[in-house]
Amino acid sequence: MGSGLEHGGIEFVVAAYAITYVVLVAMLARAIGARRRARAEYDSASKGEFRT
Amino acid sequence: MSPASADSLGPPKPAPAWLGWLSLLFFLFTQAYAVLTSPADESMGHLQKILYVHVPSAWVTFGAFGVVLVASLLFLWRGDERSDLLAASSAEVGSMFCGLTLVQGMLWGRPTWGVWWSWDARLTSTLVLFLIFVGYLALRSFVEDPQRRGQWSAAVGILGAINVPIVWMSVRWWRTLHQIQSNPKAVSPIYLRGWILNVIAFTLIAIWLIWRRYEAARFERAAEHAAQAAALGGNNG
Amino acid sequence: MAFRDDVRRIRAIVWKDLTTERRSKAGFNSVASLGVTILVLFGLALGPANDMLQAAAPGALWLAVLFAGVLAFNRSYQVELDGGALEALLLYPGARWAIFAGKLIANLIFVTLMLVIVVAVGIVLFQVTIPPKWPQILLVLMLGVVGIVALGTFYAAMSSRSRAREVLLPLLLYPMLIPVMLAAMEATKAFLSGNALIEAGAFIQMLTLFDVIFLVATFLAFEYVIEV
Repeated sequence: MGSGLEHGGIEFVVAAYAITYVVLVAMLARAIGARRRARAEYDSASKGEFRT
Repeated sequence: MSPASADSLGPPKPAPAWLGWLSLLFFLFTQAYAVLTSPADESMGHLQKILYVHVPSAWVTFGAFGVVLVASLLFLWRGDERSDLLAASSAEVGSMFCGLTLVQGMLWGRPTWGVWWSWDARLTSTLVLFLIFVGYLALRSFVEDPQRRGQWSAAVGILGAINVPIVWMSVRWWRTLHQIQSNPKAVSPIYLRGWILNVIAFTLIAIWLIWRRYEAARFERAAEHAAQAAALGGNNG
Repeated sequence: MAFRDDVRRIRAIVWKDLTTERRSKAGFNSVASLGVTILVLFGLALGPANDMLQAAAPGALWLAVLFAGVLAFNRSYQVELDGGALEALLLYPGARWAIFAGKLIANLIFVTLMLVIVVAVGIVLFQVTIPPKWPQILLVLMLGVVGIVALGTFYAAMSSRSRAREVLLPLLLYPMLIPVMLAAMEATKAFLSGNALIEAGAFIQMLTLFDVIFLVATFLAFEYVIEV
């Protein structure tokens, strides 16, 4: 089917990397954020405040 | 009805900070190394560079599912809620990498075969795996009771994991039945080192992500336990 | 002997499930009608040219069985759930697998009867010529049904007791059944078109292997799923 460059390979490579990095950063942010929120919830719960 | 380890479910041990930084630095290094120093392939040209994110993402996907399998088995065997939370965290992270693998595969396939989707055995099997992940996560979201949620998702996770090689073999056999030659990604071994390095890098990142996600889940459960204890009026030390 | 008790229990469950269905004949009739309706829809979607229909017949048949059968699976737990009988059933000091076996056999009978109707209608609607190898097709049909019913009965034990039962069962079940569906559809296709002397054994082997693996897995896992 010819070399990848015939169909213009480079933009696909760039797109793949861009999407990958964006998703990784998003996952990172979510992991950190979720942990922070859950931690805060735990801290307040163990102090006896009732958070629904 | 609370699991035996309910009282011991305190806050989790945190992921060491050095792991996060090491993973990040190693990742940046291996990515740069692979992308900048790898030569163009004779048939694929520079398209081959996609494989430096595609192959590691696929590895992480299957690795994460493996963790789901082992954690689910442990949960059914021991009943320790921590195994269940680990399975859930691994499934979340794994499903994201599964989606990534699919998108990268399609971005590789379009310039190679001219179509976005060719019902290629690998891509199709990855899509089915993605659907199994989604089913697992959907089940968890629809069940409130932690014990029931743990046992049900463990069963679903284990059966799903058993099915992964079966699906792969079925789809591949289905393709050969219709006499469609699969184009194996025949790549020369000079790329191997880059692949292995990046697989390690992605794995470290995934471990860190799963660990963080697991910590969040542990905190949530611990918060629920603490709130329950407070509501029951117990004297919590 | 404990095993004889289990067999008696299985027989009781099968009898109860089936007679509840028969007394509400509407249950079977509506599921079978749904299967036929799905066939009609496929015919409309793919027809009216004969060659298209004949090529699509195996796929349409199996999908009709799958979609209609899913209704049967959730309903097979409905009876106990409505009466609160499930807890009572679990109080008996019996092996859980016997409950699963009973439901499985009842569903098997139910889906097989529906299959007969769907196949008969399908032959007519899709211009299917009955090939000389029709006994093998029957074997394929039975093996495929066993796979569908085993996993369907298992997942329905969960979905029927959850909030989103209509979407949860298909969502969990369909991806899991892909190997069965592929093997069954291709086997049906091969036998209908009259070729494939060699592949015949391979199809049967694959379906049998799948059935064995998942029968064992679901029997082992059922007690974890029904207890909680």
